[in-house]
Amino acid sequence: MDKLILRRVDRQNEEMILNFGPQHPSTHGVINFLVETDGEVLKRATPDVGYLHRSIEKIGELVGYPGFMPYTDRVDYVAAMFANEGYAIAVEKLLKLEVPPRAQWLRAISCELCRIASHLVSVGTMVMDIGAFTPMLHGIRERETINDLIEALCGARLTYNYHRIGGVAFDLPEGWRDKVLAFLDHFDRFLVEYDRLISFNEIYIKRLANVAVIPGPMAVNYGLVGPNLRGSGVDWDVRRDMPYGAYPNFKFNVPVGKGFYGVSGDSFDRYYVRCLEMAESSKIVRQALETLPEGEITAKVPRNIKPEAGEALSRVESARGEMAYYVVSDGTNKAYRVRVRTGSFTAMCIIEDISPGLMVADLVALISSLDVVAPEIDR
Amino acid sequence: MPQTVREYTGAIRNTVKSFWHGLSITLSYLARRPTTIQYPDRTPMPVRDMLPPRYRGFLEVDTAICTGCQACERACPINCIQISLEKDPANPKQRVVTQFDIDEAKCMFCGLCVEPCPTGSIQHTREFEATHRHIRNLVFRWSDPLKPFPVYKVDKNAEYYPRVPLGSLVRARLETLRWDRPAPVFLPPEPPGAAKPAAQPKAAAAAAAVAPAKAAAPAPKAAPTNGAPAATAEVPAVVAAPVGAPAPAAEKAAAPAKAPPAEKAPAKAPAAEKVVAEPAVTLTPETK
Amino acid sequence: MNATIQDLSARPRKTARGVVLATLAVGFGLPTLLLAAVLALSPLSKPAMLAAVLRAAGVDVTTWSPNAQYVLWAVFMVVLALIIVSFAAVVSGMTVWWEMRVSARMQSRIGYNRVGAAGFFQWIADAVKLLFKEDLIPAEADKLLFRASPYFVLTGFALVFVALPFGESLIAADLNVGIFYITAVTALVVVGILIAGWASNSKWALFGGMRSAAQVISYEIPSGLAAMVPVMMSGTLSMQGIIRSQGAWPWEWHAFTNPFGLVAFGIFFVAQLAEGNRTPFDLPEAESELVAGYLSEYSSFRFALFFLVEFGNLWVMSAIAVTLFFGGWQVPFAGPEIFAAARGAGELPGAGWWGLQVLSMIVFVTKTLVVLNLVVWVRWTLPRIRVDQMMSLCWKYLVPFAFVTFVATLLWEILVARAPVASDVAGGVMVAAMVVAAFFFARQTRQNISAVGDRVDFTNW
Repeated sequence: MDKLILRRVDRQNEEMILNFGPQHPSTHGVINFLVETDGEVLKRATPDVGYLHRSIEKIGELVGYPGFMPYTDRVDYVAAMFANEGYAIAVEKLLKLEVPPRAQWLRAISCELCRIASHLVSVGTMVMDIGAFTPMLHGIRERETINDLIEALCGARLTYNYHRIGGVAFDLPEGWRDKVLAFLDHFDRFLVEYDRLISFNEIYIKRLANVAVIPGPMAVNYGLVGPNLRGSGVDWDVRRDMPYGAYPNFKFNVPVGKGFYGVSGDSFDRYYVRCLEMAESSKIVRQALETLPEGEITAKVPRNIKPEAGEALSRVESARGEMAYYVVSDGTNKAYRVRVRTGSFTAMCIIEDISPGLMVADLVALISSLDVVAPEIDR
Repeated sequence: MPQTVREYTGAIRNTVKSFWHGLSITLSYLARRPTTIQYPDRTPMPVRDMLPPRYRGFLEVDTAICTGCQACERACPINCIQISLEKDPANPKQRVVTQFDIDEAKCMFCGLCVEPCPTGSIQHTREFEATHRHIRNLVFRWSDPLKPFPVYKVDKNAEYYPRVPLGSLVRARLETLRWDRPAPVFLPPEPPGAAKPAAQPKAAAAAAAVAPAKAAAPAPKAAPTNGAPAATAEVPAVVAAPVGAPAPAAEKAAAPAKAPPAEKAPAKAPAAEKVVAEPAVTLTPETK
Repeated sequence: MNATIQDLSARPRKTARGVVLATLAVGFGLPTLLLAAVLALSPLSKPAMLAAVLRAAGVDVTTWSPNAQYVLWAVFMVVLALIIVSFAAVVSGMTVWWEMRVSARMQSRIGYNRVGAAGFFQWIADAVKLLFKEDLIPAEADKLLFRASPYFVLTGFALVFVALPFGESLIAADLNVGIFYITAVTALVVVGILIAGWASNSKWALFGGMRSAAQVISYEIPSGLAAMVPVMMSGTLSMQGIIRSQGAWPWEWHAFTNPFGLVAFGIFFVAQLAEGNRTPFDLPEAESELVAGYLSEYSSFRFALFFLVEFGNLWVMSAIAVTLFFGGWQVPFAGPEIFAAARGAGELPGAGWWGLQVLSMIVFVTKTLVVLNLVVWVRWTLPRIRVDQMMSLCWKYLVPFAFVTFVATLLWEILVARAPVASDVAGGVMVAAMVVAAFFFARQTRQNISAVGDRVDFTNW
């Protein structure tokens, strides 16, 4: 960064440096981009993260194992369910707990609903960054319904804290299943309407197709995960390839970016993979509700959780890609180390190398197509 | 960028086609019902009544069935619950809860404290509207330090625990607390390294004794200005001795300063109750 | 729709009768009053007419010195100008309200609903709020230019109204170069925006200003070429002349009597969107890219002036489009001879003539509002295009098509000169095609509602 400023002094041409953020309408939270531009064309955009650092990993060492669960909500507050699940699985591995099937199914249902909710925000804000306002609010409207459902399930709309070490906190409320099925019926039709409204809009396609192309190998090298990776044509989904929880029991496709309107790995692929994933999540929720087993919702968990010394790694497919928890126990009731690996952080790294040659408006499209969420970057 | 004729005409065709669909969809929304609700004043009923029963709003403690086990305090990851237990001086076998403070402003509504509660005394309610000018008014003191409540003896054979209707206690408090009510004056924060008051009430009482005059001075003045009703009548007393007031050590140390407010508070309570009759400012105007 | 959500949605609340009446009074009364003033004053803008009216009132101005007569006339013109500018401001404010209501409905929201019935007075409240806000000028800004730029913008906007018709005889000045004049003075707006962008000394504002300059100047070309089509068809540049060459019925409008007229309208419409910085061409103030573009540093009433111009432009662009392509104020069954007969031979026009003027004004305003809604509707549907695409759209699509339309209209006019029936046939066919398209569009719209399981429901409008 100092280099950037030094270079500015020598500059004789018409370049200028823009501070794109931290308070900018399209940075999705407090992120700063130091943008060197020559007119509308970017020379380089350097992400400057850390504005939203809240020491969540350190807090994991200070509070007990169950007490950290609400904090995981705050890692990625758009899709908090996955952070819950990842942490729960990691600690269960430490404790060598077997989670009852019903709890696993409930985890899958809640997570997939949460994935839909998160992707709705993602595609909605992306559309808004491209300049259309209406589809974003349509997405938010559907998300509100999911929020209502999850609120009825676990009592909170954003920071769910639904999963527990060894299971989940609540069983399904009465009549919830029918409400979810009714919503999914509506939602599948809504997705068609949404595609007609904006996804296939010619301006929208022209704005995104062939823009900010991330080839598959590059995506792998930079550690992109989730929809960003699949948008680049890499067929990798933790739910299918390293199954956890109830996922082996469900049939679902993993949408992969094929270059729907441009080349594989462009912004439109990353966007549209999310749209397709919402339909797949809807399928998973239906299957899970149909095959929901009876039984306990929590395993027998000791009252005072004190895992043996050791370490555990869990990987879950979050809405923003693979989320990994690495928990080290030293035998006390507090973790020795909790490490969260999130998708948004690696997605930020690639921006600097993809940005040269883009236009300012393309940078906005790139950022929102990577679906970065500031708290997840900084934790 | 080279462009073929097909691409050129195709772009025009796609534009017309996609605009056709897009415009017809936005037009069709003019004939649909909006989904937003008009919070707070134009909803068919108060929003708290529309929330699902599991909603995690403000915490409520029914002191009648609190066993004083402190499980909620241990479960809280951010230590927003503080409980102190003492032996009842009158009846040494009976333990009393002298302090049960929940900092609702700090609480993150995770629900972890509710789960270990053996009797369901501490519960989340559906109350969520409590805008206050002073954040300290959101420290809910469920135990009156002057009249500590005895712990509840769990009856193993009981089929259920008699709990007051969920939310009624919080609701009563919120309705009686005016939003711009002056903040209660707590003791100055303890120097770092001092013992945690909740864990060791004795030490805290000693700490309270250090600055009794300073803390107690505003108490009598605060009493008349405080138009708050019975539910908050403990405030002046609280001002004087936030921690473990009846603790013998504290009483001895702070006796001169404390005597007036301590005696005044019970006397004031009935008077204050009459004042309550004036309509308390409700936080949420309900739809008529 | 999910049951929970629907249960929660608010019933329409009864608004107090007095509020409804006040809203209706202001909502209809204010524009009616201003339009009535325009109606009364614009015929007086001709000195002879003014003298005649005053003579009827018992004052013979012809006996005054020429200078005194001139001053009297000038005073009348200033009053007329003030009224027209107030009309522009009021229309712009009401457009804001209407646009917010419509966009809210498109987004499943309710929109303005607090101040007055249906939140109608919100635009007044906003204007008052902006008036009372602090007028901030950035420390590093070029203060003179920063202060001056809103006036450039406002001037460019207000000058358009000189040649903008309101009715048969209702126009401040029926310039014989009307459309040319309008194209010219509109360009003053971009000067103001460029100044605003530069004087703010902010990079975002500079970006916005440069974008705006590039955009508006580029789109002048297709806009001007497309405007040439009706000009060629009517053989005059005068706004009233263009309207007089059309008829009252759709098959007599320039948009339909010429098979290329509708294409020309499309090009003109898109170009006008771009010149008015409307989505999908709102690049100069693209909020997700440039924060607020050239408006970034403006606050208070200077901001309000920019805002006024932006929304007032909707009226301007709609009125121009109606004038050029959709028959302007032409009243059915009332040809020029009817107007002439109603006026009578006397010095002062007869009462029937005034009635016809009111009718023509109603027709014009209605048509303008329809086109205005089209602009609003487009804005809340489409995303924004990129700056290079904006250029390529202009130079690769609009300009070539505008030239093609221009030449084709030329040939078409030669054909019409030989066989006048061609124009009638084209009008009939095009109107029939539009009716069919409208039918299919309405059907599509109806299907959209049932496709997601919603119902047609106007109860909460």
